[in-house]
Amino acid sequence: MRPLTPRRVAWVCAGLCALLFAAVVISLRVGAYPISVRDIVMTLVNRAIGHRDQIPADFWNIVYEIRLPRILLGVLVGASLSTAGAGFQALLRNPLADPYVLGVSSGAALGAIISLIAAPHTAGAIQLAAFAGAAGTTAAVYFLGRRGGQLDSATLLLAGIVAASFLSAIIMFLMTTLSGRDLRGMAFWLMGDLTSQPSINPTWLFLLLIIGVGSIYLTSSDLNLILTGEQEARHLGVNVHRVKLVVYVAASMLTGLAVSVSGAIGYVGLLVPHVMRMLFGTDYRLLIPTSALGGAILIVLADTLARTIVAPTELPVGAMTALAGAPVFIYLMRRRMR
Amino acid sequence: MVARHWGIVAAAVLSALIASAPPRAFAAQDAGRVITDEVGREVKVPAEVKRIVTLAPNLTEIVYALGLSDKLAGDTNECDSPPEAKSKPHVGEPQNPSLEAIVALHPDLVLATTSINRVDTADALERLGIAVYTTAGDTQTVLGMLDSISRMAELMGAEPQGAEMVGRMRQRLEALHARLQDRPMVHVLFVVWEDPLITIGQNTFIADALRWAGAESVVISKQNWPQLSIEEVVRLQPDYIVFTSDHGGTGATQLADLRSRPAWRDLDAVELGHVVDVSEEAVRPSPGLVDAIVQLAHAVHPEVFGESRRAEDETLFATRVTESVGAGLRPVLLGRCQEPHLCAR
Repeated sequence: MRPLTPRRVAWVCAGLCALLFAAVVISLRVGAYPISVRDIVMTLVNRAIGHRDQIPADFWNIVYEIRLPRILLGVLVGASLSTAGAGFQALLRNPLADPYVLGVSSGAALGAIISLIAAPHTAGAIQLAAFAGAAGTTAAVYFLGRRGGQLDSATLLLAGIVAASFLSAIIMFLMTTLSGRDLRGMAFWLMGDLTSQPSINPTWLFLLLIIGVGSIYLTSSDLNLILTGEQEARHLGVNVHRVKLVVYVAASMLTGLAVSVSGAIGYVGLLVPHVMRMLFGTDYRLLIPTSALGGAILIVLADTLARTIVAPTELPVGAMTALAGAPVFIYLMRRRMR
Repeated sequence: MVARHWGIVAAAVLSALIASAPPRAFAAQDAGRVITDEVGREVKVPAEVKRIVTLAPNLTEIVYALGLSDKLAGDTNECDSPPEAKSKPHVGEPQNPSLEAIVALHPDLVLATTSINRVDTADALERLGIAVYTTAGDTQTVLGMLDSISRMAELMGAEPQGAEMVGRMRQRLEALHARLQDRPMVHVLFVVWEDPLITIGQNTFIADALRWAGAESVVISKQNWPQLSIEEVVRLQPDYIVFTSDHGGTGATQLADLRSRPAWRDLDAVELGHVVDVSEEAVRPSPGLVDAIVQLAHAVHPEVFGESRRAEDETLFATRVTESVGAGLRPVLLGRCQEPHLCAR
């Protein structure tokens, strides 16, 4: 394994940024409405030099009002879920940890459903409630997972699994009381869907993303030490308890953020950090930024597939992440075993 | 405006290509009128509607029944009646249509319904500056649906056709009412979905359609689509069981199937062969609905509409809508018991 230098981090991240940019351009290019690459470029250039009037109304609508917001939502959700997944895996020193396994996603989903029943037409209520649900579940699982005053990985994972099934049962129960239009929206949302734009200002969502990813990133040297053993890390002067708390809160916030805008897109939090480990090694200083970028790339591409393969019919993006992600994951795993 | 914020974020992500030129709000140039739709949204509709996109099968049927097929620019994958509707450009599934496919058709009016479309779709189209008129689907009454057809006809510039169609439907309903008003209500179980067993609530459109047919749901529920246990059905003992089948299904298998199922086979209605199969038209607020109501009335009130009284029925059947609308309609009365001593065992 080559030693990690700032230069290497910069090069890898620049490479992934280029890939993400390519994914965004591909995603802008394809869709039910055909637009050529030339027209896409013309639209972007005209926008850049302020010649808004030169852009045909259709192109403007499709590029800026339909495709781009959806792509950015994909970037947001993908980056949040993968970073949260990487964070939870380090925290629990368990490769199976992921926002879904820990019940945090179910908590967010429950919050959203309660908001739909209680205040169906309030703008932003669903986001806030999903967020509150994620935070509440995090706190509950966190305290249930403590043993003798210490955060115990096995107990925590078990508490998460129990919380997830308990919350899912409540969701099932509440779903029977919903009807018609709300239920339809809910069913889509639970499958993982990027078609609904959040009713709150997306700039805030991106700010939260940066705060969440940033705080996990700042703990990454400590996470590296914790991964070699908590006792050892403590001897080296790491405040293990505080690091765990920061990662757990930040990862929960990222999960709540993702679930509040897109529902339950599964598999990303598990898949992306593992793929990144296989490609770039286990150093968290590299793993956190690559996971964020990789998650964004995965969701953007998956959503592009979801809305094009049987266009104009659109599939839930959650189905696509599993469909496209599983074979890639198995391929990488087999290759590494050889 | 949400698009503006996305624009700001876009500028950060695509900073290589995009300078931060602030996007301006979309201004609709057409001098139209602003009306309020059936869910209370304000819709700006051009004075003359030329291109319509429908987001539900019943709305497509209404557009065709009003003779506006030329103006129909697109519909959904589910729009199969009349058959010509299948060859129109599709915009995807009603629950999740492709927004860009809709934009590409340049509609000046999109018709949606609360019964299968999502609020999110209407919101997104509104943001794109496309007029969406939403009809109240699930919780309408039959007469409310007729008003809704009139309103849509007026909106699309087909007021006379709408008035004629609605007038005809109203007449037939009144004729039916005159025949049935002193008959007791027949208690039916309306099966929306078999597994799990889902029936209708008292506020739904179907519950009202049943009342016009001289029937009443045995289930009283404020929920629109309550789930029911078979035990509850046994306890309620409906006089008739009404199923809906899609166009491909054969009704003849239904009764045989029920007779082989535990609990179901012991229901009085199943033993007597009181199982009615109506086409999906009955559950859509569409022009074919009155036909479905008349057929259902015939099925559950054989004492009023017996063979000997066929002549009197002419008033009801004389105005039946022909092929284009009637094609999808095949309400069948299954295995009605001709010899009670055999059926009752």
